[in-house]
Amino acid sequence: MKKIILAALFLPILILNSKISSAQQTFPVNGVHDEREGYYAFINATIAVDYKTLLSNATLLIHDGKIVAVGNAVTIPAGVTEIDCKGKFIYPSFIDLFSNYGIVKTETQNNNQQGPQFISNKSGAYNWNQAIMPEVNGVDFFHGDEKQAENLRSLGFGAVLTHRMDGIMRGTGAVVLAGNESDNEMIVRGNVASFYSFNKGTSTQDYPSSLMGSIALLRQTFYDAQWYKSGGSNEEKNISLEALNSQLSLPQIFQVDNDLSILRADKIGDEFGIKFIIKGAGDEYKRLDEIKTTSVALIVPINFPKPYNVNDPNDADLISLEEMMNWEQAPANLFRIDKAGINFCITKQGCSDDAFWKNLRKAIAYGLNPADALKALTYTPAQLSGEWNNLGSLEKGKLANFIICSDSIFNDENIIYQNWVKGKMYRVNDEQISSLKGTYDFTLNRMGAIKLSIENPSSNSVQLEFHDSTKADVKFSLNDNLISLSFAMPKDSTKQLYRLNGFIEGDNFSGKGLDPKGNEVVWTATRTSDESEKNDSTKKENKNPEFGKVIYPFCAYGWDTIPKQETVLFKNATVWTNEAEGNLENTDVLISNGKIQQVGKNISVPANARVIDATGKFLTSGIIDEHSHIAISQGVNEGTQSVTSEVRIGDVVSSEDINIYRNLAGGVTTSHLLHGSSNTIGGQTQLIKLRWGYAPEQMKFAGWTGFIKFALGENVKQSNWGDRNTVRFPQTRMGVEQTMFDGFIRARKYQSDWNKWNSTAAKNKTILTAPRRDLELDALSEILDGKRFITCHSYVQSEINMLMHVADSMHFQMNTFTHILEGYKVADKMKAHGVYASSFSDWWAYKYEVYDAIPYNAAILTKVGVITAINSDDAEMARRLNQESAKSIKYGGLTEIEAWKLCTLNPAKMLHVDDKTGSIKAGKDADLVLWNNNPLSIYAKPEYTFVDGICFFSLQLDLQKRDFIHTERTRIINEMLNAIKNGEQPQDLNLNFNLLYDCDMLCDGSQIGAQ
Amino acid sequence: MKKIFSSILFSLFISSLHSQTIPVAPKQDSLIILMNGIAHLGNGEVIENSAIGFENGKITFVADARTIRIEQSSAKIINIYGKHVYPGLIACNTDLGLNEIEAARATRDANEVGDFNPNIRSIIAYNTDSKVIPTVRSNGILLAQVVPQGGIISGSSSVVQLDAWNWEDAQYKTDEGIHLNFPSFYSYHFNEDGGSIGVNEHYTDEMQNIRNFFDEAKAYTQTAHENVNLKFEAMSGLFNGKKKLFLHADGVKEITAAVLFAKSYKMNCVIVGGSEAWKCTDVLVANHVSVILGRIQSLPGSDDEDYDLPYKTPALLKKAGVDFCLSMDGFWQQRNLPFLAGEAVAYGNMTPEEALMYITSNAAHILGIDNTTGTLAEGKDANIIVSDGDILDMKTNNIIYAFIQGREINLNNKQKDLYEIYKEKYGIK
Repeated sequence: MKKIILAALFLPILILNSKISSAQQTFPVNGVHDEREGYYAFINATIAVDYKTLLSNATLLIHDGKIVAVGNAVTIPAGVTEIDCKGKFIYPSFIDLFSNYGIVKTETQNNNQQGPQFISNKSGAYNWNQAIMPEVNGVDFFHGDEKQAENLRSLGFGAVLTHRMDGIMRGTGAVVLAGNESDNEMIVRGNVASFYSFNKGTSTQDYPSSLMGSIALLRQTFYDAQWYKSGGSNEEKNISLEALNSQLSLPQIFQVDNDLSILRADKIGDEFGIKFIIKGAGDEYKRLDEIKTTSVALIVPINFPKPYNVNDPNDADLISLEEMMNWEQAPANLFRIDKAGINFCITKQGCSDDAFWKNLRKAIAYGLNPADALKALTYTPAQLSGEWNNLGSLEKGKLANFIICSDSIFNDENIIYQNWVKGKMYRVNDEQISSLKGTYDFTLNRMGAIKLSIENPSSNSVQLEFHDSTKADVKFSLNDNLISLSFAMPKDSTKQLYRLNGFIEGDNFSGKGLDPKGNEVVWTATRTSDESEKNDSTKKENKNPEFGKVIYPFCAYGWDTIPKQETVLFKNATVWTNEAEGNLENTDVLISNGKIQQVGKNISVPANARVIDATGKFLTSGIIDEHSHIAISQGVNEGTQSVTSEVRIGDVVSSEDINIYRNLAGGVTTSHLLHGSSNTIGGQTQLIKLRWGYAPEQMKFAGWTGFIKFALGENVKQSNWGDRNTVRFPQTRMGVEQTMFDGFIRARKYQSDWNKWNSTAAKNKTILTAPRRDLELDALSEILDGKRFITCHSYVQSEINMLMHVADSMHFQMNTFTHILEGYKVADKMKAHGVYASSFSDWWAYKYEVYDAIPYNAAILTKVGVITAINSDDAEMARRLNQESAKSIKYGGLTEIEAWKLCTLNPAKMLHVDDKTGSIKAGKDADLVLWNNNPLSIYAKPEYTFVDGICFFSLQLDLQKRDFIHTERTRIINEMLNAIKNGEQPQDLNLNFNLLYDCDMLCDGSQIGAQ
Repeated sequence: MKKIFSSILFSLFISSLHSQTIPVAPKQDSLIILMNGIAHLGNGEVIENSAIGFENGKITFVADARTIRIEQSSAKIINIYGKHVYPGLIACNTDLGLNEIEAARATRDANEVGDFNPNIRSIIAYNTDSKVIPTVRSNGILLAQVVPQGGIISGSSSVVQLDAWNWEDAQYKTDEGIHLNFPSFYSYHFNEDGGSIGVNEHYTDEMQNIRNFFDEAKAYTQTAHENVNLKFEAMSGLFNGKKKLFLHADGVKEITAAVLFAKSYKMNCVIVGGSEAWKCTDVLVANHVSVILGRIQSLPGSDDEDYDLPYKTPALLKKAGVDFCLSMDGFWQQRNLPFLAGEAVAYGNMTPEEALMYITSNAAHILGIDNTTGTLAEGKDANIIVSDGDILDMKTNNIIYAFIQGREINLNNKQKDLYEIYKEKYGIK
């Protein structure tokens, strides 16, 4: 016992003292200095000098933690330790740019406050928002962690760029080495790159609660930094902005959660002249063309999804085609990125240690070029981090960071033996153990004809097979050259053990031991063969797996080819024109190049035109939903402050929402995507055309003047939010009015400040500070200038009146009151003010402020002369807006022509796009729906929906898509079952679903009361 | 406190200013004959030119107008030439009369505290003075199954007629069923952008809990007790077949498990919700289990499903021979019930006459009131509506007469009042 204790004490002292000579000169040493030169020559090796240069029979010479020479003709000076690497391979070790190695996670803090938190809890002269932390330098927090370091080394990593993964602006990261020397030596460089994300992390502050809020906050902070630099620092001290300004010249790395957010991050970068390096989510292949256009460099994870347990068909029904296809195609992501010519590196982030190599090899099996894979793990991260002078290849002067392995690096059989970090050797896999793999002729005393097979020595899968084919599992251990084996004879029912000792000599073992009775036995093992297996495995690699195509969007009902504009002649339809001609019988409509070309009788069929026989059918312009929340990513409300005019739905349009398709099937062609109604001045809205399959930017309605969502009443005064929410101003309708006035008065002052600045002579500008750019006030100023319109969630007459007064006082034109269920009470005033109304058809009684709502509202407003629309605020109702409009025939007696305009021409007018869409007239956009019945009838359903002359929905196409979904699901389910049968670990059911948004949806998915 | 109290009073006063209380219709005092209307009997049949007579609240004849002679001179004859006449519509599974304003807590009476509340009875809180009821009634819904919400066993429902002075008068069939929200095989976790579905690890425990309750209730009801357990007493109707067990379940697994559960207790059961009932029609048909299908104007349950799957679910159930009816969610929303039947026609292979059955005769059958209502037939209650046109289509639905047990109902409501007031204000015709 005493002996053991002594050894344990002695060992760490040894490690402390033996250092490579350049080490840590500032530190005192306890004991006799033991500085070693670290002078090694690795000879006879196959060396990858860099990702593309492989030298055989070469030498690598390192000294003092650095590479001295590499090549086929390296002269080895005297006094160098030679290490023979015959048959082995040496590669530069890997670099991971996206890591938090050695940096302790920030603890999540509870916001113990009773109400909302408006301002950062962090004390000091920092940013107002707790998620903005550019002042954090990862290097300050770094402390090496041997357990994590060992894991990194075992996978082949030698260096990582580590940062604190918390917040929206996260500060800088440091390049550190995966060795176990002191932190001072393991840090290569601090402040290497700065990091960003859309996720506020542990910040307890309420703002931002949505993705669009995060985007607005990033933009505003970059503008603040510009202002601070150009004079704002005279007005306030702000450590965060100073830090941000000081790091803008570094590589800028942005973490996102999905493919579309790559485009979002890049767009922010464009605004500020920053080319982000973007750490993606591994689903880049879903929108690769658009991502390629951004020319960003990517950091790509390889955490491929596991197959699902699909044995229960009912459970399997819960797994969407999207998830199934992603399972199948995610391993091909890197192949596709590579093929597209995008600059990328690979990160281990998100991938378990066990899965890393498996997935890396899988990516290569799926077509990723091995040299490019190596490049993505060495050259590219070294270049992108600015550490090419130190890392990424085995060239003279660089750090001696490399791995020694048994084989070509990506070969299935390859084993990493050693990972050298800064000239110090770390053992990964025991070379000797690895080399034992194979089969042996085994003798026990005089008994022969026994086969010993060592499949994987490190995991104890060792077996004896006797001449009668009976088998025994062997417990096997190796320590240095000494070996021990134990097993029971298969025929021995008592399972008593033979226990053997021995040693290795060359390829063979021999030794002595004891049988169960304690008699001494002798044994030998002589290697028979191990070559044949290797040949088998190299053959296997040539077979590339098959995987499905990318469809757009990447979910059910997506397209494998995005549809294009057609020339179409609708023959012999009943055409509801919404124009002075009214409803025309037996009429033809010709469309081409996305426009309506001709409306008339007996139009001749142009060449290449598709003819749709519309006899007995009804052709109308497409439905326009004035109030929709479909196709929005990660939050419809930034309801954390009463004024959030800086946020923009346009930043978070999602092209992948199935409700786009479902709305098309209901005849909708244009949707006005609104911010929610949880605050008085909400966010900027976005008008889209339902171009299903196209990317978000391509869905935006071109040439449209922007809108902003306002809201009044119970939602904004938080009447139904529970007892915790009673402090945010305003809590009454009186306060709502003041919030509006305050916003506009500030905006007017802001305008005048800018006007003064703009008229200041250039020479004076150098001594003055420009006004601070304020995104919130920018939007309000646009309203004052008539360059942005308001659509305002509103119910009761008092507040409608109020907002019209605010508009009059501040000299702007109020545009739309949306929901407006008590509009009928002030219809005359609305008419006098020239405002528009957009209403629910028959909703009421869901909250106190709609207790006087009546389904006759739309009819009264229409008859008084207010241009009125019927809106949905609901993905489901949106596909029945024809029926909702028809209700004003029942309630209030509108004519069919009047009722039809409620969901077509009238919303077009209030959105100021009636010159482009909303009726059937030559020259307008070919946004058309062909119905099987009177479009206002409950029995009507769309048979074709065209947007800009592109057929995005037809009953026939829909049937084809259903077939595709069924076939693909069946095929992939079988693939999953096969994969599981072949040993892949399945994952249990845990499926994501998206929330359906309506006005009052808070970001946490809770409802703050009804609409 | 005083201040709050007075402000509540004040707000009620305001809203009652422009909304008159609508009187309850008096008892039928003479024979009424509806002449020459197009009669949709509710059993799939149509009489193009009909004569329908009713007296003392009961239908006395339903005939082709050309085949009858009217002898009684005291009869009140209403000529409804070209109009459409239907049995009164039946709203199943609603909290009508229990809730008045969804977001105003003081007006909510549908959801009692506790997991097992079979003793909670909807009829007790049914508010005949609700301003919502007349808006539903004036769209042709004359009867409603009023159901408590929440918990595992929500409580006991009753069928009411929608024109009454008080809940006692409103009773049409009292405490006809007990409602059980069947546990889900899946658990749902919500986060910022949506959430995730996983396996419900507690399902077996939850089921055991329910079985324990049923087992103990069953044992309890076999003897008399001095120390009365209100919950178990309320369960007795289930074990003696007087009450139906309404099992609220939407997923195919839950529906199947629910049917087997009821079968193991030999109970009459009805599935409520049933959005995936089309996946297990065999189980439903083999066990003679009916379905009150939830609102079909809803989105498909998953991205991959056909966009029109909810719309065509009635047609799928019909084809498979499942006994079902249609229902709407909520309370004020009930006035849209006829349009659900219309939607089923638009997206399924069925006629309007068939779809009508799912909001009249089939609903009556499932609620166990088909001996007195659900069709236009001699001997049944005179629960009748007359519309200008097809009631399944909002374009033509306009109820001009409604009779509950022969009483001619006032079709006015708060919203019509407001309409008239503002029409006058603006001089609209």
